[in-house]
Amino acid sequence: MKRHGMHHISRNHARMFYQPVVGFLALAAFALLGYAIWLCLHNISLMTTKGTQFVGFQNFVRLATDWRGLQALWRTVLFVVLATSFEVILGIAIALFLDQEFRGKKFVRAVILVPMIMTPVIAGLTWRFLFNAQSGMINYWLSTIGVAPVDWLGNPNVALYAVLVADIWQWTPFVVLLAMSTLETIPKDLVEAARMDGASEVRIIWHVILPMLRRTLAVAALIRAIDSVKAFDLFYIMTKGGPALSTETQNLYGYTVAFTNFDISYAMTIALFLTIVTNIALMLLNRFAMPKGVR
Amino acid sequence: MLKKILFYLILALILFVTLFPLYWVVTTSLKTLRDAFAMPPVWLFAPTLENYGKVLTNPAFIKGFANSMIISITASVLAIAIAAFAAYGIVQQGPERRRSLEGFVLSLRIAPVILFVIPTYYLSMRLGLLNSHGLLIAIYAFINIPFAISLLVTFFEEVPKEMREAGLMDGASELRVFWHIVLPVVRGGLVATFILCVLFTWNEFFIALVLSGRNTQTLPVTITSFLTFQGIEWGALTAAATLIMLPMIILGMLVQGTVVRGMAAGSVKG
Repeated sequence: MKRHGMHHISRNHARMFYQPVVGFLALAAFALLGYAIWLCLHNISLMTTKGTQFVGFQNFVRLATDWRGLQALWRTVLFVVLATSFEVILGIAIALFLDQEFRGKKFVRAVILVPMIMTPVIAGLTWRFLFNAQSGMINYWLSTIGVAPVDWLGNPNVALYAVLVADIWQWTPFVVLLAMSTLETIPKDLVEAARMDGASEVRIIWHVILPMLRRTLAVAALIRAIDSVKAFDLFYIMTKGGPALSTETQNLYGYTVAFTNFDISYAMTIALFLTIVTNIALMLLNRFAMPKGVR
Repeated sequence: MLKKILFYLILALILFVTLFPLYWVVTTSLKTLRDAFAMPPVWLFAPTLENYGKVLTNPAFIKGFANSMIISITASVLAIAIAAFAAYGIVQQGPERRRSLEGFVLSLRIAPVILFVIPTYYLSMRLGLLNSHGLLIAIYAFINIPFAISLLVTFFEEVPKEMREAGLMDGASELRVFWHIVLPVVRGGLVATFILCVLFTWNEFFIALVLSGRNTQTLPVTITSFLTFQGIEWGALTAAATLIMLPMIILGMLVQGTVVRGMAAGSVKG
């Protein structure tokens, strides 16, 4: 065989390094997706003895008219929107605040990392402990300023917000760190020049710094949005969807249908629906809300 | 001056909010039952290791610890070994192919885990595979591979192209170049990626909750079984929590710079 030159050959050889892996991943992903769709179109439930039948789109029709599912969907949307916006806004504010020279900056940066590497289940336990109605620290502090105790995790009107607080605590640092590292790459003379021209700090942040942070913020928001759709650990540990289903999100509802009711097909339908909605939301976000250059 | 004081006050507030929950769990684990539930809270107390004694003699906890170690280390080694090959191959491709490959790898991480956990559960139940370590190791390796690829690609691309080409010019095979020239250069990145995979697997809850059985429970699942014990034993629970998370926080600190990079690479790339 004739040699076609070094580059051609070596590129082909390098391909053999990833092709088996990517091929296997693709195969597994497609097989799984196919199987998932197959499950959705049948009526598999481990609790009945009816046997497996093809039921077509029955599960999807059921989902569209399932009040509990629709409420869970609404709650998911609410949680995602609130969590993402709080984390991004708070994160950027903290990053801007820390964007100056001070002693112990390295230490602060390291400490801020702690919540996001804390085991999520334990973060949930911790907040459950802090939010405890009788002996929790939150109510103790509220009592010192004269606010009556709140049954944080037992009151259907506030439980979702208690979980939200825990989520914000755990994930705001992610936005802070991402934004901090971007801020360090911003040329300081640009800010200086604006300051020389007599622009106020607020104007500098709004017109000079924020536009340069747009891309980072968009990426951070996207990551946080995807992850909060999938949020499970905090909910499971803190409330298990209760009280009175007030914290049941789609993901949690899918889990309950699958592993408490063992209604495999219907749970799959919920999971597939969630995936499709997430992907559509992502595509729309990518297309319309993202600044140019962000994929 | 006033500005400086204000700055440090706000900084203290940020650090307090960040660290207080951790501090409270760790100190509660060192308190007696009476101190733990005292109202108003006790800030100064005589520490006791009683709670740790209780946890470390609990067979369920020991079992969970062993399972977590076995599963997270084995799955991470497997994932890194496979992902390193793939990442090396991907980095050598032209920009277009590379983008589409990275896009595909990324897309594997966007779907909610529940989408593949339910079929896996149903299938392994029918095949009688539930409650085996092998199942969990395979699943976690499978999940860690795309993540490890996305992260390793960023390390591999920092290796000067000339190094590889010089090796190939000298007549070394691609495999030799990969093994003897490129891998030693990215050693630090491999270690960081490995630690992140261990961290992720150690902390993971949902898959473990669904797919593990009595013998294969990992620590996050074990600790939830402490929750339903007649009322919650916060002393033992916080001691167990401390034992579970502190080693991971220390590991995470060691690869500080990689954590954010890893999370970004693992979810969506900018």
